[in-house]
Amino acid sequence: MVLAPHIQFQGDSGARDRARRITGSPALRVVGRRLLAAIPVLIGVTFVTFAVMSALPNDTAQAILGLHASPSAVAALNHTLGLDQPFWQRYWHWLVNVLHGNLGTTVEGSSVNHELAIHVPTTLGLLLYALVVSVVLAIIVATLAARRPNGIVDRLSLVVSMLGLSTAPYVFAFLLIIVFAVKLNWFPVLSGPVTGPGSFFKNLTLPACAIGFGLFAIYTRLLRADIVEQMQREDYIVTAKAKGVAPWRVLTRHALRNSMFNLITVIGLNLGGLVGAAAIIETIFQVQGIGNDLLTGIANHDAPLVEGITLIFALVTVLGNLLADLAYAALDPRIRYGRSNA
Amino acid sequence: MSMRTACLAGAAALVLTTAAACSSGGSSSPGATPSNGSSTSPSSTAAPVAGGSITVLESSGYAGAWTTLDPAENKEGAATQDFMTAIYGQLFELGTGGKIIPDLATGYTFSPDAKTVTITLRQGVKFTDGTPFNAQAVYSNWMRDLGPIGIKNGLNPPWLVAMQKAPKGSPPGTAEPALPSAITVTGPYTIVVHQIAPNGAFIDQLFDSIPNWIASPTALQKEGASFGQNPVGAGPFEVATNTPNDELVVKKNPGYWQTGHPYLDQITFKTVGSDEAAYEAMLANEGQVYEDMSTTQLINESQSHFTVDNNLGTSPYDLQLNTAVPPFNNPKARQAIYAATNFAPILQHLFGSRYPTTESFTGPGGICYEQNVPGYQGYDPTLAKQLIQQSGLNKVTIQLGTIAISTAQESMQALATEWEQIGLKVNEQSWPLSGLISAFEANGGKSWESMVQTAGAYDPAGGVGVGFRFTSGSPFSGVHDPKLDTLLGEAQGSTNLATRCGFYDQAAEYIARNYYGPFYFTFSPANISVHGVSGPGLTTPLASVAVVPTIPWEDVSYNPSGS
Repeated sequence: MVLAPHIQFQGDSGARDRARRITGSPALRVVGRRLLAAIPVLIGVTFVTFAVMSALPNDTAQAILGLHASPSAVAALNHTLGLDQPFWQRYWHWLVNVLHGNLGTTVEGSSVNHELAIHVPTTLGLLLYALVVSVVLAIIVATLAARRPNGIVDRLSLVVSMLGLSTAPYVFAFLLIIVFAVKLNWFPVLSGPVTGPGSFFKNLTLPACAIGFGLFAIYTRLLRADIVEQMQREDYIVTAKAKGVAPWRVLTRHALRNSMFNLITVIGLNLGGLVGAAAIIETIFQVQGIGNDLLTGIANHDAPLVEGITLIFALVTVLGNLLADLAYAALDPRIRYGRSNA
Repeated sequence: MSMRTACLAGAAALVLTTAAACSSGGSSSPGATPSNGSSTSPSSTAAPVAGGSITVLESSGYAGAWTTLDPAENKEGAATQDFMTAIYGQLFELGTGGKIIPDLATGYTFSPDAKTVTITLRQGVKFTDGTPFNAQAVYSNWMRDLGPIGIKNGLNPPWLVAMQKAPKGSPPGTAEPALPSAITVTGPYTIVVHQIAPNGAFIDQLFDSIPNWIASPTALQKEGASFGQNPVGAGPFEVATNTPNDELVVKKNPGYWQTGHPYLDQITFKTVGSDEAAYEAMLANEGQVYEDMSTTQLINESQSHFTVDNNLGTSPYDLQLNTAVPPFNNPKARQAIYAATNFAPILQHLFGSRYPTTESFTGPGGICYEQNVPGYQGYDPTLAKQLIQQSGLNKVTIQLGTIAISTAQESMQALATEWEQIGLKVNEQSWPLSGLISAFEANGGKSWESMVQTAGAYDPAGGVGVGFRFTSGSPFSGVHDPKLDTLLGEAQGSTNLATRCGFYDQAAEYIARNYYGPFYFTFSPANISVHGVSGPGLTTPLASVAVVPTIPWEDVSYNPSGS
């Protein structure tokens, strides 16, 4: 009984120490700070979106009900949708609901939460697929190209990259459709539901390639330039070569790793731009994702749906950039967040 | 390898890939058999074959967007006619050559004053839930369409029946449903509509409208709010799976009243994002039918691979002039616009002269079609220049607007270019539907000057017909002329087609002589199908009710080996 308080104290102390270690982690503090900083960003993004949707010259209820709708029916639907309230009131109401986990109701009457729950996984899967394929291929091609600057691989990669940079995703999408769906019948033109790995690759490969080709081109050129610079200018490369490290190993283990920073930065910055690509490509391939929903929502002046999707994309962008920052530290032990450089 | 060699190799690879991609035909595609360029399929005259299934592609911008399949709750209106006719059938169908075909109804009669319509219904028909289709079922559907549910969804059809008055001081949106006595059941299979004004267009107004689709009252009660996802009708097909805005699968109704119909076992309606995507999907044999193709180049390209059915348009594009405000409250300014417009070259350059020109609110697929109207001011640049000077049109910038769809926007831009060459200044603007409605309604209808629109329907008294664009009571009209209102009212009020057409001819001439708005061409998108598919609206032309025809899916068959 006497020892009990002591044991209790020790227990408290251990837990407190662990808690202190965790909360004292510089990386975690960075994560916390960035997440806190994301709150005004998200509010700003949703506010601007709400303001733009409200400023559009339209009558949502009339658009839904059509030309023949009586003025009383239009007024009633506007009231039901809360569109007869002042802008600030509507935004505040939406914001409070979001904090309670309720993203509202679409103008067609379904829950935005439900719509997003169905369609977000498909879009995130598509974008992740496009991103992973483009990054992996870019790393391979850039490394091969940088191994022998101005060699045949380097020049071919330049041609392919220029094509990727100068071809709009929707044009490339139709080229893919003609070759791989119409001619070869390897993949469908119109995507079906994604129910497992098989249907995922069958339905999303062409859309992912259409989105990923442009990214691949950017990443390849960027990474190739960085690797070449590392190989030609950095002392540690000379040292490694002088120590007899195999050239291939120097390239992949030393130069490549140290060339990844710009690539990671660009990947983080590109996440926002993927929204537009997803909207266009999903429409072409009829992928049932939130990019498709976004265009439908804009056409229908469906503010709750557009707001919900914008929020998701803003969240993905913020989190993606945070992950990019954390990846810097993982790649370079010299970077330690929260510590002085001195 | 030099840089030049590498670039050449890359370019050659790209050219080869593109050439392979762009070469015509596709051996793997059953639908890609080249034809002789004719738009008529070799199999179009073959006997229908029972069985098989097809996928029908629907544009996401029109027919491919739906939320509910409950007629009264349906906000998409005629856009979802394919699904509705497959599930519910129709009371009356608009057949080839404009023939009225009784489907779930067997006939109709008008009273001598054209106010009362008596409709007889087909006996022995059952909904797919086994309950009987009869006059009571039609009555409960129509009261629902004309009642609070239909009104709430903006579906209050323009029936000329007596309505209940909402109590004074009622909040906006209070329903004003039809009086129960406006429709009476006079027998198990007879129903009577009592109108408050003569209306000889009643049956024509049913086409493509919600009251033409009858749902099972028992299922409506049983399913409640979920009826729109699990609809029950007495049509040729019943719903197998339904994913709104994406895919609807319907299978053959084994108890369908018409022996031997439907021919097909299953139809999959699949949403597609664009004409281009639909065309590629058809080449890949992922779809056998695509409805409402409007891209001229793809229609031309489709003729090498598929059957292209050019349906008969009924809804001409016209230029609405707002006679309530300057500059078009001046008849000389209006006449100047008529004289400054030569639409034939526009039609040729934009649409390859696919669509016929017209000078009135009717098209070749509709009743009372009159291509040339007496007194219509034709293209006359010399006169146009004089009138522009006299009316002061050269001193103002004309505000020209339209709806944000490509056909309308291209027509508007071409008109503006033509007018600018003759000395007019034009400010163009286009809006989505809601913005367009706001533009019409702003400032009590006095903010807009001119709009490129469509005016017309199979029956000018139906849909977005002539009254919608040219009568005083419509908020979407620029004309406020009691004499024209009377002419159009008399045309609607007769049951005799010749009498009706006589009044419509007078109205068309009256519009022309007063320069109320020039008419241009009758647009109707094409239906594309792979060889082997056969049916009205796909291999034989049908009249469009408003913009597109209603395909009777029970008459469509598919024989892949017959291609």
